[in-house]
Amino acid sequence: MNTVAWMDAPGQLAGRPLEEWNGAYSKVESYFHALRVRNKVLLGELVARVLECAMQRSASHPQLSATELAVEEMDNLVNQWFAQVLSAASGGMEMLSTRGRMALLLADMPGRWQDQFLRPGPWPDEFVAAMRDSYLRAGPNFQLSQMTPRPLDLGPMATLTQWSRLPYAKMTVSWILFGLLLVTLFYITHQ
Amino acid sequence: MTPTSPISNPPGEKASTLTVLPLRWVRLDGRIFLFYSMVVLLTGLVSMLFADLLWRTGWSLSGVVLLCLFIALFFLIALGCMHGVFGFFLRMVSDRRLTRLRDYRAQNIQGVSTALVFPIHNEEIVRVCEGLRATYDSLKKTGHLDGFDFYILSDSTDPDKWVEEEKRWFELTHELGALGRVYYRRRVVNEGKKSGNIRDFLSTWGARYRYFVVFDADSVMAGQTLVDLVKLMEAHPQVGLIQTVPALMNAESLFGRIQQFANRLYAPIFITGLNFWVQNSGNYWGHNAIIRTEPFMQHCDLPQLPGRKPFGGQILSHDFVEAALMLRAGWEAWLAYDLGGSYEEAPQSMIENAQRDRRWCQGNLQHFMVIWAKGLHGVSRLHLAMGICGYLASPLWLLFLLTFNWMFWYEGQTGLSRITVHAFTPFLRVSATEHAFIIFVICMAVLFLPKVLALVDLAFDKERRRAFGSLTNAVVGAIAETAFSALHAPLQMLWHSKFVAASFFSAGVQWGAQKRASDGTAWLDAVRRHWWHTIIGLVWGAAIWRLDRTTFWWFAPVMAGMVVSIPLSVLTSRASLGRYARQLGLFLTPEETAPPPEIAALRASMDVLETSGRIDPRAVDAGLADVVLDPYINAIHVSLLREKRQNPTFAKALSDLGAGRPEVRALCEKLLAEGPSRLQQQEKILILSDVEQLPWLHRQAWLRPSSTLSRWWQNQIRQYAC
Repeated sequence: MNTVAWMDAPGQLAGRPLEEWNGAYSKVESYFHALRVRNKVLLGELVARVLECAMQRSASHPQLSATELAVEEMDNLVNQWFAQVLSAASGGMEMLSTRGRMALLLADMPGRWQDQFLRPGPWPDEFVAAMRDSYLRAGPNFQLSQMTPRPLDLGPMATLTQWSRLPYAKMTVSWILFGLLLVTLFYITHQ
Repeated sequence: MTPTSPISNPPGEKASTLTVLPLRWVRLDGRIFLFYSMVVLLTGLVSMLFADLLWRTGWSLSGVVLLCLFIALFFLIALGCMHGVFGFFLRMVSDRRLTRLRDYRAQNIQGVSTALVFPIHNEEIVRVCEGLRATYDSLKKTGHLDGFDFYILSDSTDPDKWVEEEKRWFELTHELGALGRVYYRRRVVNEGKKSGNIRDFLSTWGARYRYFVVFDADSVMAGQTLVDLVKLMEAHPQVGLIQTVPALMNAESLFGRIQQFANRLYAPIFITGLNFWVQNSGNYWGHNAIIRTEPFMQHCDLPQLPGRKPFGGQILSHDFVEAALMLRAGWEAWLAYDLGGSYEEAPQSMIENAQRDRRWCQGNLQHFMVIWAKGLHGVSRLHLAMGICGYLASPLWLLFLLTFNWMFWYEGQTGLSRITVHAFTPFLRVSATEHAFIIFVICMAVLFLPKVLALVDLAFDKERRRAFGSLTNAVVGAIAETAFSALHAPLQMLWHSKFVAASFFSAGVQWGAQKRASDGTAWLDAVRRHWWHTIIGLVWGAAIWRLDRTTFWWFAPVMAGMVVSIPLSVLTSRASLGRYARQLGLFLTPEETAPPPEIAALRASMDVLETSGRIDPRAVDAGLADVVLDPYINAIHVSLLREKRQNPTFAKALSDLGAGRPEVRALCEKLLAEGPSRLQQQEKILILSDVEQLPWLHRQAWLRPSSTLSRWWQNQIRQYAC
């Protein structure tokens, strides 16, 4: 970015105080940091590109701060680039933005393709394919089916009426008889 | 047994034609009769001796109550003892159930689909992911990875946890190259808790899988074990589920290591004993088990119990009931007690242990209702009854001690001197005190015999002996463990009694996440949890001291546990003491002396994460900041929400929640202008559930001038600058 071209007065850049542009720089840089653009050369270049666009609009949008202008430009630049790389229609800005960011992550832009980010085309085929084919799947295709609770007859009375059919009833009875035998034995020996 | 449901095979695949070698079959009823008759016999004889003692000192109503309580309590310890005795002798004759089978080894499982599901609820997601990674890598080495899909099934209600889960899941899949094999799904509504979570998975994807394996948040399984389980299921089409026996591992604190040591030393003989009488009618313990999907879906959707909470409503301890329903439908449930490679972690302190018991207690007591259900197998009723007794034993013991004290006090009040008579034991020629001592010795022998048998079992196994350090180490460890258990048991008694009483009188139980780290209990927290134990111990002890000095010394071990509960709780929760004990060679387990590859890998990755500070607790609302500001986390979250909306059930739930309504935009404005501290948790969940608002929030948070954002957001954005 040729900053000299925008210096119109001492301490001013594109009609605004230098400090204001410094704030704008920080915000744009923070966003690119958030996108994991870690190469300082590329980062500086990208921020400068965004700020240059913002300075061009500066005079025509005096009501907006430098930071607002810069972030708007960054947003436009990134989304336009997403539209080009993904060959997507520009409609649904937020949808496109989400898809683009997801594609960047899945294509491993921070690891492999930092130099391609926001670069005008043509891009390497592998990069384009990686961006366009990427789709996050949290699960396979749904195969919906229905589980229905089976009724559970809990009535103890109903069960008790069928006492003789209870499992291990005979065994339980034999234990009770054994217990009665012990009680009887005890009674007899303690007279 | 004839299954009532056909076995499903993927289209184009023939049903298994492999010859199935049946298990060595002994009639189950005969085994149950033999096993329980031994328990009844032992209980009967010792109860006679106790009744005789009471007779010698004079019958009374309280004596009858005491005798009844003694019979019930002795029956339970005799039951435990018989498990140990049967298990010991079976192990001596090399009883092996599954590893004896030869038919499954050559079973072809190509094309068989199995889902490994990890239901979680506000858990430590880093640990969940690393456990999953260890299992994934282990499975990959078997060459059968293609047959398995992994699902993290989140029920988390904490917005920060939700976002972190998505973030960690993505990192994990990215690192493993497992996108399309490791999946993540968070439910919109936490209905039915864990069983509802599994049911939701089955309703959405269950039809894709012939089997599913349920993991706990801290479970790890060896790949070969998983492959063996699938092969066993393929070779035995009548089996509905196979439950493995998870070995406790990775404990750091002294308490955790003691529990882990006890589990590894004693469990083999107990489980072998258990398997003696359950055979093909085993149980399900909620995780580390493989389940045949189709019959489970057909028969195991749990009904709501009639009546109000705590006994009515949703079945909390679902696993026992699901196994019972599976058996009722004619399917078999096996206990793979001799199949290794199945692991889980345990609570690291007495307080965490009690918190877990609090949940389990209510769930098990609820089985009072289910135990009467028509059509259940007798064995299922026994499983349910044993679960209930596990918690009822504590109030019974407490009642026994109180009744005994009452009798003593009452006798003192009457001012009459005690006259003992001879009864049918004169041939023993013992005084009443000696008579009481004999009963005491028998009780102790029944309690400790399984521990001794476990050590004898170890002495005969050179490989296991080495895995426990040495036989000497194991013996010293068992003595120390027994001493600790003696102090811990009275606290368990008080806690469980309180839980049982609370279950009978309160409205329900909180299903909070279990704290599994071993950072130790703070002194203040210990005082808060144990003050009443200490006071009961002091008051009770003083009362008995006043009553009778001799009796006091009989009660001293029980009172000691209560009186020292605070320091005991704090000190045993310390990882430093756990490490020190390890240096001394105490409480060593096979997983510590020779960690299996899965456990070694898990430890290594957790060490790296700890060192790098990636598992440090995050700031409040850190997840919310991430999902709004981080371009990638925002994109992941929105993409998952979009996918979720394609499921009609989720779409409806999201709509019911309020996602997509204009009010959500107002909440978003409030979030930006005033910060997250001004929003309720439910409002944050609502924002995080709105697929339209989140991209908008991301854009606005970066686009808006700082002056229009709350200071909290300004600080969060500033963090991206460095």
